[in-house]
Amino acid sequence: MILDLILPRRSKYYVAAFALLGTLFSLAPLVVQWVNYTNPIYAFEDSFVVDKFSIIFKGLFILITYLTFLLSINFIESDKYYQGEYYYLLLSSLLGALIVSSSRDLLTIFIGIELASTPMFLLSGWKKGDRKSNEGAIKFFLLGVLSASLILYGFSLLYGLTGKIVFSEISTFIINGALQSSPVLLLSAILVISGLGFKISIVPFHSWAPDTYEGAPLPVTAYLSVSSKATGFVALIILLTKVFSSAGESWGVILAIIAGLTMTLGNLVALQQSNPVRLLAYSSIAQAGFILAPLAVAGITGNFQDGIFASVTYLIIYAFMNLGAFLSVQLFSNHAGSTNFYEWGGIAKKSPITGVLTTIFFFSLAGIPPLGGWFAKFVVFRSMLSTGEPIGLTLGIVGAVNAVIALVYYARISKVIWMDELKDVDSENSFQFESPLKVVGVFTVLITFISGIFPGIFSYLGEVSSIFFGN
Amino acid sequence: MEILTNGVGLSAVVFFPLVSALVITLIPKSQEFLIKGFALVSSIITFVFSALLLLEFDFSSADKLQLGNKISWIKSINANYEIGIDGISLPLLVLSTFITVLAIIYSIEHLPEPKSPKGFLALILVLETGMNGTFVALDLILFFVFFEIVLLPMYFMIGIWGDRTVRTVAGFKNQIETRLYASIKFFVFTLFGSAFMLLGFLGLYYRGNKTFSIPELIELGSAGAFTGTFATLVFAVLFLGFAVKVPMWPLHTWLPDAHTAAPTVGSVLLAAILLKLGSYGFVRIAIPILPEQAKAWAPAIAILSAIGIIYGSLACLAQTDLKRLIAFSSVGHMGFVMLGIASLTPIGINAAMIGMVAHGVITGLLFFLSGSMAHTYHTRDMGRLGGNMKLLPKTGALLGFTAMASLGLPGLAGFWGEFMALLGAYNPLDGLNVTVFRTSMVAGAIGTVLTAGYLLWMLQRVNLGEPSEEWMDKELHDADAYELAAWIPLVILTILIGVFPKLIFGATNDAVIAMLSKAFGG
Repeated sequence: MILDLILPRRSKYYVAAFALLGTLFSLAPLVVQWVNYTNPIYAFEDSFVVDKFSIIFKGLFILITYLTFLLSINFIESDKYYQGEYYYLLLSSLLGALIVSSSRDLLTIFIGIELASTPMFLLSGWKKGDRKSNEGAIKFFLLGVLSASLILYGFSLLYGLTGKIVFSEISTFIINGALQSSPVLLLSAILVISGLGFKISIVPFHSWAPDTYEGAPLPVTAYLSVSSKATGFVALIILLTKVFSSAGESWGVILAIIAGLTMTLGNLVALQQSNPVRLLAYSSIAQAGFILAPLAVAGITGNFQDGIFASVTYLIIYAFMNLGAFLSVQLFSNHAGSTNFYEWGGIAKKSPITGVLTTIFFFSLAGIPPLGGWFAKFVVFRSMLSTGEPIGLTLGIVGAVNAVIALVYYARISKVIWMDELKDVDSENSFQFESPLKVVGVFTVLITFISGIFPGIFSYLGEVSSIFFGN
Repeated sequence: MEILTNGVGLSAVVFFPLVSALVITLIPKSQEFLIKGFALVSSIITFVFSALLLLEFDFSSADKLQLGNKISWIKSINANYEIGIDGISLPLLVLSTFITVLAIIYSIEHLPEPKSPKGFLALILVLETGMNGTFVALDLILFFVFFEIVLLPMYFMIGIWGDRTVRTVAGFKNQIETRLYASIKFFVFTLFGSAFMLLGFLGLYYRGNKTFSIPELIELGSAGAFTGTFATLVFAVLFLGFAVKVPMWPLHTWLPDAHTAAPTVGSVLLAAILLKLGSYGFVRIAIPILPEQAKAWAPAIAILSAIGIIYGSLACLAQTDLKRLIAFSSVGHMGFVMLGIASLTPIGINAAMIGMVAHGVITGLLFFLSGSMAHTYHTRDMGRLGGNMKLLPKTGALLGFTAMASLGLPGLAGFWGEFMALLGAYNPLDGLNVTVFRTSMVAGAIGTVLTAGYLLWMLQRVNLGEPSEEWMDKELHDADAYELAAWIPLVILTILIGVFPKLIFGATNDAVIAMLSKAFGG
C-alpha cells in the first residue's frame, strides 16, 4: 500500500544488485494494488490518491528506472564513478516521479516535480572532466531553476485566486465562482505550462535538451528523455485536467500551436544531426509534440478521455522504444568509439543482432507498422480528428507531414549501419554486448513488437487511465 | 474442409511466410542450403494454401466475401481482425503467392551482391505477408498495417542489394549510389501517401458509426452516409495514398528510380504485386465507400491516367537503360488499369482486374529477363547490347515473346486489359463526362501504338542485329535451369490468360458487377 522507499547502502559492490532488486520488489505492491483495486483511495486529506492512473504510471516509472539501472551497470563500473551516489540519486528521482503520479494538491505535486528533477542536475554533470557534460549540466540547472520558479509563480497565482491547495477544491471554487475566463487563471495556466514545458522539452523551452543529453552519461540521458519527460507529462495531465480543465479552450489553442511547432522544429533540426544522441534529443522533442497534441485538442473540445487515452498510450509505448534506441546507440558508439554516426558505416555486419535492434527501435520511433510506434501515432491522430475541429484537423495534417520528415532521419541510421561500406574491416575490436544490456534489449524489443501487433494490451492501459481520470 | 472456410486457411496464407521468415533468421548463416531450401519450401506451402483456398472458393457467389473470419483485435478503438476474399481479391492473392515462389526459385542461384541469402530470403517472406495481408484485410486499420509492412522489406532490399552505380542526383551535394537514393525516395513517397490515407480512414471512422470494417463502411457509403466537403477531402487523401502506390502521373517519379535500383527479384515483386496494392485500394475501398466522390473524381483520374499512358510511353522512347525502360512501361500499363477503373463500368473495372494480373505476369517476367541480362552483360545500356538472339538464344526468345505480350498482342494476356479499358472509357458510367473519357480513350489508343513502338524498338536494339565486338570473346551464360523454372510458368500463364481470359473474369465479373451496382445503383 505504502510506497516503499529504498535507500541503498553505500557498500560499493552490492549497491547495483541491491538497487536492482529493490526496484523490482517495489513493483510487487503495485500488482497487489491493481488486483485488489475497487475505488480510488485518498490519503492525507485528499492530497494523495491511489487510482489506476497512478498505479499504471508508478509501474512505468519503476520499470524505466529498472531498465536504466541495467543500462548503467557496466557504464558506471567502467568509469570508476561514484556508484553509490549514482544509484541513490536515480532512486530519489524515481521517488519524485512516484509522488507526482499520485499527487492531488499544489504542494505535493511541486515537491514531487522538484524531487524528480533535482537529482538529474547532478547526474547530468556526472562526467566531471568533460566540458560538454559541465556545459549541459549548467544549462539544465539554470533552466531547471527557472522552470521551478515559473511553476511556483503559477501555483501562487492559483492560490491567490482561490485560497485552496487541493485540486478538487480549487476546481469547485473556480466553477462556483464562475472564474473560468478569469485572466489570472489563464496566466497561471500559461506559467505552469511554461514551467513544465522545460521538463518535457517543448518548443520554445527545449534548448537545454540537446546539450544536456549530449553531455550526460548515456543511461542518464535515456532516463532524462523517458522518465523525466513522462514525469513532466503526468504532472501536466493532472494539472490540466484536475485544475485548469474549465479554462480548456484558452490554453488548448496555445498548446495546439506549441505542439505543432514542437513537432516541426524538432524534426527539422533532427534532420541535420550527425551525433546520434543529439538526433535522439531532437527526435524526443518532436515526439513530445505528438504527446502534447491530444491534450491540446482535449482542452479545446473538452473531450479529455480521448486526449488522455492517446497521450498515455503514446507515453507508455514511447518510453520503451526510446530506451531501446538509447541502448542501441550506446552499443554502437562504444564499439565504434565515435559519436558521429556517419562513421558507423556497415557496423551492423559486426553485430547483426544489434543492427536489427537498432532498426527495430528507430523504425518504431518513425511509426512504421508492425512496430509499436505506429499505434502510438495512430491514437494521437485519432484524438486529433475526433471531433473534426479545424485545429485538430490542422494538427493532423502537420502531424502527418512530420511523420514523413521524421522517417528520413530515422531511416538514415539504418541506412548507414546496413548499407554503407564497412570501414575498418580487419579491426580486432570485438563487439561488446553485456548481459544486463541484453536484458534491456530483449525486454524493450518484446514490448515494441507486442504493442505493435497486439496494441489492445497497451491501449487498455491508456483506456483505463483515461476513464479513471475523466471528468 | 472447415479449416479452410473458417478463416484459418486464409490467415495461414498471410502469416505462414512471416513465421518462416522468423525461422530463417534462427538458422545459422553458414547453412546456406538449409536457408534456401526452407525458404523455397515455405513459399511453396503458402502457394499450396492459396491454391486450396481457390478450390474451396465458391465461384457461384464470387460477389460475396468468403473464407474469412472476424475476431476482436484492438477493442478500445473497435478495430477487428477481419479478413475474407471475394472475386476481386482472389486472383491477386493467388498471383502474389505464385510470384513469390518464382522469386525465391530465381534467388537460389542468382543472389545479388552482397549475397547473404538469409536476410534476402527472410525479407521476401516478410514482404509476402504484407502483400497477402493487404489483399485479404477487410478492416481499414488491418489494411493499413499490411499496406505499410511491405515498406520495410522493400526499403532494405533496394538499399542493401540494389544497384551500386554512383550518380549525381539533383539536391544532393555529393554523388550518391543509386540504391541509397532510390530506397529512401521509395519509402518517403509511399509513407507520405499513406500517412494522409490514415487520416482519411480516421475520418471515415468518425462519420461511420466508429467502425473500421470495410463491408460495414461500404453499406454506409452506398446508403449515402458520407457527403459534402468531408467526403471530398477523404476521397482526396485516399486518392493520394493509393495513387502514389499505383503510381499515377505525376506521383510516379519514385518508380523508375526504385525499379532501376532494385535487385531483379525486388523489381519483379515491386512491379507484379506492390503496384497492385494501390489500384486494389481504389477498387476495394475508395470507390465502394465513397461512390459519389469517385464519380466526381473519375474524369480527373481518367485524364491523369491518359497522361500517364502517353507520358510513360514517350519516356520509354527516351531511355537508354533497359530496366528503366521497363519501369516507365509500368507507368503506362498502370495508366490503362486506372483508366479502366475510372470508367466505373463493369467492363472497365474487369479490364483493370485482368490488367493488373497480366501486368504482374508480363512485367514481372520482363524484369526477370532484364535483370538476368544485366547480370550476364554487366550493363543495361541498350546502346551496347545487341544481337542478344545470337548470344543468348533462350533469353532472347523469351524477351521477344514477353515484349509482344506487353504491347498487347491479341491472344496473350496483355491484350484484354488494354482493349477493354479503352472500351470502358468509350462508354463510361452514366452521368460521367463522355467527352473527357473519349478523349482519354483516344489518348490511350495512341498510347498503345507508342507502346508497340518502344517495345519493338527495344527488341530491335537489344535482340536483333549483330552482336558488337565487345561480347565476341566473352563467355556469356544463357538462362540456366533455375531461371527457366522461374520464367516458364509465367510464359504459360501469359498464354493461358490470353486465350482464356475467363480464368480471371470468372472470378472478378460477379464481384465487380455487385460492387458497382451497390455503389451506383442499377
